Amino acid sequence: MSFNATLRALALAPVLGLPAATAFAGDYALTIDPVRVETADFSRMGVGFNGSTEPTVLRFQEGEEVTIRVTNNLSEQSSVHWHGIILPPDQDGVPGISFPGIKPGETFTYRFPIEQAGTYWFHSHSHFQEPDGAYGAIVIEPTTREPYRYDRDYVVQVADAHPHRGERIWRNLKASPDYYNREQRTLMDLLSDASEKGLGTALADRAAWGDMRMMPTDVEDVQGFTPVLNGKDTAGNWTGVFEPGQRVRLRLINSSAMTFFDVRIPGLKMTVVAADGLDVQPVTVDELRLAVAETYDVIVRPTRAEAYPILFESMGRTAMVRGTLAPEGQVGAAPEVPPLRPSPLLTMADMGMMHGMDHGDMVHGNMGGGDMGGGSMAGMDHAGHVMPDGSTMAGAAHDENASSAAEKAMGDMTDGMAAGGGAGHVMPDGSTMAGDAHAGHAMPAGGHVMPDGTTMAGAAHASDPFYAPGSGLTPTAADGGKFLSYADLKAAAPLFPDREATREVELRLTGNMERYIWSINGVKYEDAPPLRLQYGERVRFKFVNETMMTHPMHLHGMWTILDTGSGQYDPIKHTVSIAPGTTVYTETEVDAPGEWAFHCHLSYHMAGGMFRKVIVEGGPRASAAPAAPAHSHSHGG
Amino acid sequence: MTVLTSARGLAAALLLASAAPALAAGAHGGHGASPAGMAGGTPARTVEIVLDDTFYEPESVDVAPGETIRFRIRNAGALAHEFGIGTMAMHEAHQAEMQMLADHGVLKPTGMDMAAAKAMQASMGHGMHDMSNTVLVAPGKTAELVWTFPAHMGEPVEFACGVPGHAGAGMVGMFHAPGH
Repeated sequence: MSFNATLRALALAPVLGLPAATAFAGDYALTIDPVRVETADFSRMGVGFNGSTEPTVLRFQEGEEVTIRVTNNLSEQSSVHWHGIILPPDQDGVPGISFPGIKPGETFTYRFPIEQAGTYWFHSHSHFQEPDGAYGAIVIEPTTREPYRYDRDYVVQVADAHPHRGERIWRNLKASPDYYNREQRTLMDLLSDASEKGLGTALADRAAWGDMRMMPTDVEDVQGFTPVLNGKDTAGNWTGVFEPGQRVRLRLINSSAMTFFDVRIPGLKMTVVAADGLDVQPVTVDELRLAVAETYDVIVRPTRAEAYPILFESMGRTAMVRGTLAPEGQVGAAPEVPPLRPSPLLTMADMGMMHGMDHGDMVHGNMGGGDMGGGSMAGMDHAGHVMPDGSTMAGAAHDENASSAAEKAMGDMTDGMAAGGGAGHVMPDGSTMAGDAHAGHAMPAGGHVMPDGTTMAGAAHASDPFYAPGSGLTPTAADGGKFLSYADLKAAAPLFPDREATREVELRLTGNMERYIWSINGVKYEDAPPLRLQYGERVRFKFVNETMMTHPMHLHGMWTILDTGSGQYDPIKHTVSIAPGTTVYTETEVDAPGEWAFHCHLSYHMAGGMFRKVIVEGGPRASAAPAAPAHSHSHGG
Repeated sequence: MTVLTSARGLAAALLLASAAPALAAGAHGGHGASPAGMAGGTPARTVEIVLDDTFYEPESVDVAPGETIRFRIRNAGALAHEFGIGTMAMHEAHQAEMQMLADHGVLKPTGMDMAAAKAMQASMGHGMHDMSNTVLVAPGKTAELVWTFPAHMGEPVEFACGVPGHAGAGMVGMFHAPGH
């Protein structure tokens, strides 16, 4: 397809207009094409930009006015959404909200100013084209010097390529929500639980899980995929080249439909310098979790002349892909792929039975991760726990009295938790804690407790405040050391003045797993009125995750300030992952008039209804926003 | 010229705050000679170094073996930064200490919290190692460090910032000894 190759070359080498002193224009072209997706495990038709399964990288300059002609070569409507880019509402690319979409065979011309720098991405916002492969990367060079140094620069974009196309996955999920869950608990597991916990406790656990219509293995509800880096599976072995001693910048982007990935490079530490495109105060880690739709920029410095594996292991430990950093002369090296770690099991703490309680304390207090051994967090854990006599605490989830009951449990049982709670605690490595273990002191993996009893932050990875205490999902670094937490992220340069929010909006993340319906405040998108915000206000969103799955929430058009307790240095993101059983606060300066999408970025949760239209009222008229672009397609509907 | 917050000052403060167990135990790059040289001497020239968020300007400095240089170090950034001279191993050991200070709330984004430093000193029972090879400079401030390089520079000598994450982001520079 030579014409596609030409277009790709055009996209990669923009035709620059006359560079003015402060701004210039670039013209780009993209095509959305049917492509064949091939991995070692399957081959099927899918969707790609510019005729390729290798993601197209659009390279812009901050201050540039870009014009992007997008041609839809599919047989159905399509679109491109520029994920994380701040732009006028009619350029945002969401059919039904921003514009009507791009009909088959037509070209839509996007035009908007680039007013930010960093790593972002783009994808179709139509049908299930993104899961089918319609994604690419955006790299924006800043006008001023970046606050870090590197010699090499690579985009590393991961996705969960599935042997089934998105429409088929969707039909199967609606017919049978556990269709793609291969990690179901068996009778043998029950007998094993019974021998460890006693039959009564094991059966009570089962009953509680059944009430939630969930299973402890519901970490990934679409399994069976083959992860790919820049379109290549492990056999394809995407490779970045370096010379020993060089600094290598890796722009990590998760363009998966459904899958969170834990990223590590055994033998190298990664210094995180940007999150969701914006610079953060650098933090050096051994491993990080890349939520769906998030980006992190990391810098590594391989000093030895050897090949290093880059490992992306799925959060549910059902799949892994390996790429390679290789010195010049060793390209083609394929470092060994370690075995998958044991699958995490969700615990009662992930069940979301504690929503009468104010998790805010957990999220805001002690963000440094200091005091893990103490009572408060461990005590809260009890609210959802099986009691020593095998009974479960009743109906905490939706009971007005839950809060006081839970608090009472906390007070009574702060130090007695091992007796009852130990049984229910499954450690991140998959092992179950012994009944007499004290949760706070039985952390796996390293780190030391200081003489004053506080725990060093380096050792606190199993007590990440952005996971429910006792959660089975709390990550630990595979090879020891530090696992990145949201609590570690601090904005390098705050974008907004630090001020009090003007109002709070509660968004409960809800769902009915049995019917594969996902919703917000119990109402799915089709049945919900738009969420109306006023221009100029600063809204504080209170996310309460009442489901057992992790939801990466993405607000279009405006930045999301994640409250980590760092005040003016709270990190600024476009996608915030909300773990089961947690409450997370974000704030948004409402500075973009018009209509925007706001949704869970898991493709089938979005389709299932965890989605809202946001209307920003007041302010400069949306229609008066920058020069209406020339639409070369007809507005049919 | 104002020498403001310096890591050496912190070490002294921590010592004053306790019964002062000897700090010699883990001293590296202290008063004695290290593989990277030693503090002090009579400088023949001054080299200006700018600290910024999060890089050095310049990023390499040519030196002659055995030479003594006065480094005049200005922090043009919004965050606290260090200028430390040492081998890679010395920097790594120091960075681990700085991580501990950050974990205990002693090291804040813009400098050291002396109250927290004293609390940590009291709880841990020992103070900081001597770090006469390193100065910590608060935003907008200027400091000086006089350093004599070894007559034989066998190991690569680098300058680096020990604030957690900063060296990893690229806040490392090289001393080049032409002919070595």
